[in-house]
Amino acid sequence: MLLPDHEFLKPASLAEGLALLAAGPGARVLAGGTDVVFNMRGRLFTPPAVVSVRSLPELQGLHERPDGSLDIGAGCRLTDLLADPLLARHPALRTALRAVASRHVRNLATLGGNLCLDTRCWFTNQSEDWRAARGPCLKTGIDACHALHGSPVCVALNNADTPPALIALGATVTLASVRGERQVALRDFYRDDGIDHTVRQPDELLTRVIVPPTTDRVVFLKETARQGMDFAYGTIAARADGHGARAGRITLVLGSLTTAPVVLDAITTRLVADGLGDDAIDAACAGLRAALGPLTNLYSPAAYKRELARTLLRRALLALREM
Amino acid sequence: MDAKRETPPAGRSRVLRLVVNGDLHEVLVTPRHTLLDVIRGELGLKGTKEGCTTGSCGVCTVHNDRGEAILSCLTPALEWDGESITTIEGLESGGRLAPIQQAFVEHHAVQCGYCTPGVIMSAQAILNATPEPAEADINDGLAGVICRCTGHIKVKEAVRNAWRYAGGAGPAPGGSHD
Ligand SMILES: Cc1cc2nc3c(=O)[nH]c(=O)nc-3n(C[C@H](O)[C@H](O)[C@H](O)COP(=O)(O)OP(=O)(O)OC[C@H]3O[C@@H](n4cnc5c(N)ncnc54)[C@H](O)[C@@H]3O)c2cc1C
Ligand code: SF4
Ligand code: FES
Ligand code: FES
Repeated sequence: MLLPDHEFLKPASLAEGLALLAAGPGARVLAGGTDVVFNMRGRLFTPPAVVSVRSLPELQGLHERPDGSLDIGAGCRLTDLLADPLLARHPALRTALRAVASRHVRNLATLGGNLCLDTRCWFTNQSEDWRAARGPCLKTGIDACHALHGSPVCVALNNADTPPALIALGATVTLASVRGERQVALRDFYRDDGIDHTVRQPDELLTRVIVPPTTDRVVFLKETARQGMDFAYGTIAARADGHGARAGRITLVLGSLTTAPVVLDAITTRLVADGLGDDAIDAACAGLRAALGPLTNLYSPAAYKRELARTLLRRALLALREM
Repeated sequence: MDAKRETPPAGRSRVLRLVVNGDLHEVLVTPRHTLLDVIRGELGLKGTKEGCTTGSCGVCTVHNDRGEAILSCLTPALEWDGESITTIEGLESGGRLAPIQQAFVEHHAVQCGYCTPGVIMSAQAILNATPEPAEADINDGLAGVICRCTGHIKVKEAVRNAWRYAGGAGPAPGGSHD
């Protein structure tokens, strides 16, 4: 099936690209296209125009800043990041990058596209014809969610692999528009709304990703139904300073279970006080239910999601303790 | 699902300049075409297959100018203006099969053959990146393609043994690419 008709725009500079986004309401940013093309072919959205940004020079390159942080272009391909020696210092981020899809996809896909990846839901993941049998949902035009009946908001999942790792690393993103530039901490970038799932405004482009230096221990784990290529049932990124069971600062981020990655603040406060001993890890796992709140049955049953979150948390904390 | 059954509006047509297997082509395409639509529909190179069109099966795999595997169903044709790609038809040279193609023949890595062009392009991409691939390289490079009948065991054997056919691969089959 051909893509829906649209205007294909390929700006030569960031300024030109931002002007196009400001001028054309509903224009869709296209980077690697591995998600945009999929969704357009399925008629999940039919934008009047597509603005291709992957080759914009301002979105390219990876370099180290004087303060030791990495400045990564949002248009960098996942493949190129994996090959870059500068990324060797962030093994957990490399694990997350390599976890995305397959080589075939990573040879097209960009970091900005992964960070902005649309939320996913089995209902909208069906073809247009299958969806038509059920009628539209909140995301595709009316006032009903077919995945969680009665839900006033879209509860589709944030299924991208790099956000938890980059949140744990304290990354910041730069959003540019004709109105200027702003920096947003990645942990504040995501929203609990499957339709409007980031704080990015429609005329804004994610241009750079800044990853501060660290000597902390960091791990990333991903659980899938199949080995090889698969979206996650759940992911965790965990980070701690110190070594062994002692840590003065811990960051825990769960991904793919909810509409936005979950940063577990209350649990980490207790872990820092108690250390990473067996009892403290048990207590942290027991405290997850309250920290996560209600979960949906989207893609996997809520009870499974809770059990998986506990397992991921335990594995991640044990791994940190060994590092 | 044949791209030609639908007639895209001519208004937004643009000339796409694309080097395919070393030859420059200039074709009229619209924003509605993917790279796969152009390869099969406009250029008539039917070796590259259409399967899922959702990025899941890999039968549409071609190479970019770095010899890396990419999915032609997931990328708009107009993204490739001025670029150079290789399709399965471009692997043979001087009428002789590439070593990886000969290895597929020798190791019976083909049954129905539908996935084979995509699997061979994926296999060649592994060899381009790692001439002596480790098990992990082979698994990683084949994760994006699915064979529905042979499985990946024979395919992996062919990849491991491709070097044996570097000197003397057999003649390429003549005739059409259909
Ligand atoms: C078979 C298959 C398997 C997959 N498996 C995984 C997986 O395991 N894990 C995973 O995380 N993803 C997976 N994906 C999803 C997707 O391929 C990746 O998330 C990829 O990184 C998306 O990047 P892209 O550059 O192709 O994004 P695009 O498709 O170009 O864009 C994705 C979204 O981000 C927006 N966007 C892109 N760049 C910018 C920017 N610079 N500024 C603002 N907005 C922007 C687009 O408008 C769009 O909404 C899979 C996809 C397929 C087809
Ligand atoms: S979660 Fe509900 S509203 Fe969101 S895409 Fe799925 S069915 Fe539609
Ligand atoms: S047709 Fe492209 S991945 Fe299946
Ligand atoms: S040989 Fe039949 S699908 Fe692979």
